[in-house]
Formats: sequence, C-alpha cells, structure tokens
Amino acid sequence: MHPISPIRLLQCLLLLLGLTLGWMSVAGERGPVIPKGKGDRCVADTDFMRRNHMDLIVHQRDETVIRGIRDEPFSLVECVDCHAQRDANNEPIRVDAEGQFCASCHTFVAAKIDCFGCHAAVPDGEDQERADGGHWLPNKQLAAFRPHKAAPLKSSVRSTVSSDHDELSSDASE
Amino acid sequence: MLPNKAQAARRLFLQRLGVFSAATALPALLSSTVDAQSSTKGVSSAQRWGLLIDTSKCASGCDACVRGCHEEHGINSTGNEHTDAQWIRKIDLQNNLSGQKSSLPMMCQHCESAPCVDVCPTGASFKRADGIVLVNKHTCIGCRYCVMACPYKARSFIHEPISDQKSWAPRGQGTVESCTLCVHRIDAEKDQQPACAVACTDEAHSAILFGDLNDPDSDIVKAMANQPASQVRSDLQLNTGVRYVKL
Repeated sequence: MHPISPIRLLQCLLLLLGLTLGWMSVAGERGPVIPKGKGDRCVADTDFMRRNHMDLIVHQRDETVIRGIRDEPFSLVECVDCHAQRDANNEPIRVDAEGQFCASCHTFVAAKIDCFGCHAAVPDGEDQERADGGHWLPNKQLAAFRPHKAAPLKSSVRSTVSSDHDELSSDASE
Repeated sequence: MLPNKAQAARRLFLQRLGVFSAATALPALLSSTVDAQSSTKGVSSAQRWGLLIDTSKCASGCDACVRGCHEEHGINSTGNEHTDAQWIRKIDLQNNLSGQKSSLPMMCQHCESAPCVDVCPTGASFKRADGIVLVNKHTCIGCRYCVMACPYKARSFIHEPISDQKSWAPRGQGTVESCTLCVHRIDAEKDQQPACAVACTDEAHSAILFGDLNDPDSDIVKAMANQPASQVRSDLQLNTGVRYVKL
C-alpha cells in the first residue's frame, strides 16, 4: 500500500469542496413565494395537494364533464375561488398571472398549464369569506387519490400561509 | 332410505348448490343497490332532457333566446362576425306556396344518434347518459369533423383566444362548442330551465318548453301528447331531443 500523494489529496479536497458548495447553493435556493389562500386550510393537506393536485383536478374534470357531478371538492372553480388574490381596488387577480398562486410554482418548475385558456382564472361575483376551507377531506378518504407514493415532500417551496398550513406532515406518505 | 354414504354425498351436493346460488344471487342484489345509489349521484339515463319549441309563439325578429344564451355563457363578438360562436340562432321560414311565415330558434338538437359523436376521432364529442350532447374540450383537438357532420349547423369552432369566461362555461380557442342545454343549470339544481327558455318566458312568448322526455308526467311530454311535434330533418332518423310544434 503506497502513501497517498499530495496531488491526489488535493484533488479529493477540491472535489469535496466543490460538492459542498454545490449542495449549499441548491439548499440555499429560495423557492417561489406562494400567496396564501382563503380560510384556514385547503381541501386536503398542503403536502398532499402539492404533489397530487393535478390528478385530483383531472379526476374531477372527467366526473364533471361526463357524469355531471359538480358538488365534489376538487373543482377548479373552488381552487380559483380560494386562491385568487385581490388587488388594491379589490379586483380579483388572475391565478395564472405572474407571482400568483398557480403561476408562482408553475413558473418555478417550468410546467406550462393551459387550464386558463378556457377556464375562468378569477372568481365569479363578490369576494366571499371562506373560513372552513370548503370541503375538508381527511387522509383516509384521499387514499384513492394517491398515485405517487413517494417519500415526504422535501421542497424548497416557501409559503406565506400560516405555519400549521405550511407544515409538511409526515403522514402524507402513508 | 339411502345408504349413509349416498345421503352424505347428497347433503354435500345440496350445500354446495346453496353456496353457489347465494354467490350468484348476491352480486345481482348488490348491483341493484349500487344502481339506485348512482342515480342520485351523477347523470342517469332515466332522464332524457329535451326542448319543445312552439313556432307559433316564436316571434319573428325576437332574439331574446339568443341574447339569453350568449349572456349566460359569456359569448361575445370578437369583431369577426363570420367566425363568432353561435350556439343558437333564429331562422325565419316561408312557405313558397302559401306565403305562410314562421320563425324558430335552431340549436344543437341533442340527437340520440348524433352524427357529431359518430365522427369524432377522439371521443370528445359525446352524449351524456341523460341525452345531452356535449363537447369534452379537454380532449377536443379542433379537427371540426363534427362541425361538418352536424346537419343542423349547430356547432362553432373558436378561432381566437377568449377571455372573461364564466366559471360555469369554460370556452377556449381551438375547440368546438355548441348548445349544452345549460347543463350546468340542470346539474346544479332541480327544475332549472335553460337560459333560452327563461329568456323566452321573460319576453312573454313562452315558446320554449324544457323537460324530461322520459317522464310521462312532465309538461313537455304532456304538451307533445296534445299536438303533433316534429323533428327537423326527421328523415335522418336521429331521434332529436329538440322538437318543434307547428313547423
């Protein structure tokens, strides 16, 4: 066994330094700032919604268009109702406008959505208070909508929602 | 008296027969319960929604139904009249022999055997269980086969981007659309009328009657029983959901 040459040692150190710096830059990356929705909570855990909202919406859209079921919780209209912000004149802002609820994340992850080419991106009518967050579905009921049983989401997404809302609950990956 | 062995065999056979018949009967029983539940949730073929239009009550020059429909669904002119969406239009007819005139609204006839459904390559043009013919814009590719196939010229293609849609009536560029029989109203509440029928009643004409063609006690079926109601292009045998009186 020969001794480690100083050059090899230097190479190793440099590699280690590079990896550390790289990791720090990724870890230090701040995610999009997501505006807070109405009420205390969404229709399901924030963690769950972040990962599965697209499947919920697709499921709901087929139920609505084909079977005429419109009172289910995952309707896009309900999403817009809660998540559209209001400007200084209390006029609703489109959820797909820059920095708004849908656009903030989708721009960050470079995922183009075309929902709002057809669907209304602002709520109809007056601003209505929503204290209960609409229909709340416990995790048990959501079991059917869990196509991605991945590890708990470790995202750099920073949210302005209340702390309990933002918490990434560990049971979401059950 | 059979020997013990034969008795035991017969008992076993009867037991198995019992289990088998229970196993076959149970799913049938369960499915009947499920059917009853699903009828309360989602559309069902127990209904068939339709319109009865009395052309003698429809005034020439009145377009209240068209305005009512456009307002309900957020249909505004893009400035290009030739390509504007047209879910419902007024038609004036004249009998060349007698000179007798009549006026009527024409829209998607919600055919039972809909040509638009036949030709759609993606299945986007479809008929709901309750007879309403719709476009699923999520899967519509904008090929316009259905526009060509429709004998009533009831469908429109959206050429330009649309803004300010109503939340209950998503509409967008690159898709085909037509009368939905105000499906959002029908799904939302019982005894809701389509916007055109409401507008016609508000105008004191009451030429458009909406109802369930499968319900013998409904106003529309009673009205059809009292007078001859015809289909436009009945020769095509499409069994339309929209019928006309005194056509």
